[in-house]
Amino acid sequence: MTAMVKIEKLNKSFGDLHVLRDIDIEVAPGEVVVMIGVSGSGKTTLLRCINVLEEPQSGRIFVDGEPMGIHRPDGEFRAFPDRVLNERRAQIGMVFQRFNLFPHMTAIQNVMLAPTMVKNLPDAEARGIGEKLLAKVGLRDKFDAYPNKLSGGQQQRVAIARSLAINPKLMLFDEATSALDPELIGEVLDTMKQLALEGMTMVVVTHEMGFAREVGDRVLFLHEGRVLEEGKPEQIFDNPQHERTQDFLRHVL
Amino acid sequence: MEYKFQFGVVRDNWQFLLEGIWITISVTGGALVVGLFVGLFLGMMRLSKFKTISQPALWYIELFRNTPALVQLMWVYYALPILTGLELNAVMSCTLALALNMSAYMAEIFRGGIQSIEKGQVEAARSLGLSFAQTMRKVVLPQAVRRMIPPFVNETVSLVKYSSLVSILGVADLTYQANVLSTTTFRPLEVFSFIALVYLVICTSLSYSAQRIEKRLSVSD
Repeated sequence: MTAMVKIEKLNKSFGDLHVLRDIDIEVAPGEVVVMIGVSGSGKTTLLRCINVLEEPQSGRIFVDGEPMGIHRPDGEFRAFPDRVLNERRAQIGMVFQRFNLFPHMTAIQNVMLAPTMVKNLPDAEARGIGEKLLAKVGLRDKFDAYPNKLSGGQQQRVAIARSLAINPKLMLFDEATSALDPELIGEVLDTMKQLALEGMTMVVVTHEMGFAREVGDRVLFLHEGRVLEEGKPEQIFDNPQHERTQDFLRHVL
Repeated sequence: MEYKFQFGVVRDNWQFLLEGIWITISVTGGALVVGLFVGLFLGMMRLSKFKTISQPALWYIELFRNTPALVQLMWVYYALPILTGLELNAVMSCTLALALNMSAYMAEIFRGGIQSIEKGQVEAARSLGLSFAQTMRKVVLPQAVRRMIPPFVNETVSLVKYSSLVSILGVADLTYQANVLSTTTFRPLEVFSFIALVYLVICTSLSYSAQRIEKRLSVSD
């Protein structure tokens, strides 16, 4: 079976700062992989490399068997030209820490944008998709609300619906609950859990260890740009092998 | 005060003044439209990550923002033909000079407006597979334009006022016509008071309509 995500020897630097060092990961279709680690460990950068929002210096990235850039023989990575990249990205949903909803559009318009612009669907069909997805995330009564009239949790659920509207094979979550008030985190995690149960392939960067343990199929612990330890959640949380992992878990649990 | 106002001079020559108003409006309008397009282009150049593209745009902007508009008008009218052999009539060269001036200010408004939009907005759009152009058109510009309206109107009001400089080069705009009228009728007080009022009405109605547009667009903020 083709891996949904396959990353080989990935390196990324910001100036002198070497953020990712020879990363190799693989995510199987339907798998939920959770990345944990202190801030600055490279987990968000790694996630953003998957859809090439961040362009690595070297390495290979495949999503569902298709390369995300030109893999030069010397190892250098060059992002594909926009035309190709847009098509690839339209198969990958991404949810951001700060929601990034389009503030000048209503909830339903946010969700309809990609179906109409990227998939060229007629308005009526896009609206159908939008209504279905907003209902799915529990926002049946908020179709025409502008983002500033929604709570953080509602905004993030609209953002999830928006990225599902392109019918992605893969969903990336970048600290999707970190900007939320504590009482709103649950509703977003529930939506993510529901997606996982439906068999969506997900790569999740999070500080919610409860979610990682309950929903994750596999947990990666990143430290200073490397995957230091990986395994089933019970293995990582109950019996961490590496001293750094033990340290980290002692602080967050 | 002994002075007896005789606004009849304005009434008797209204057609003459109206011609001036028309020239003022067309010079301003022409400069505005050209300045808008050149300014958008320059603003985009300024946003380029390539220095060879952004730097020339910056030089242009600095040049036109840091020299007097009157000098620019005279340079285009008197000096440009020597340099290029391009023969323009006074109205054309004044419109051109004001447009070049305006585009420098417009470029900065476009650049500032676009840069004020959060990076996350572009990332969200691009991650959905929208192209750069679609992202600009559907996500960035609609938000940026709202923020651009107030400075844009300020510049337009300045342009209306700067346009009176063209009278010095013999373009028969409102100020020029008023000058002619005041010297032939010896009624400068009435004539110049009247045209000041005309400028005031034009500029305040511009500001006012901008406020209304802004209000209408701000439903989602």
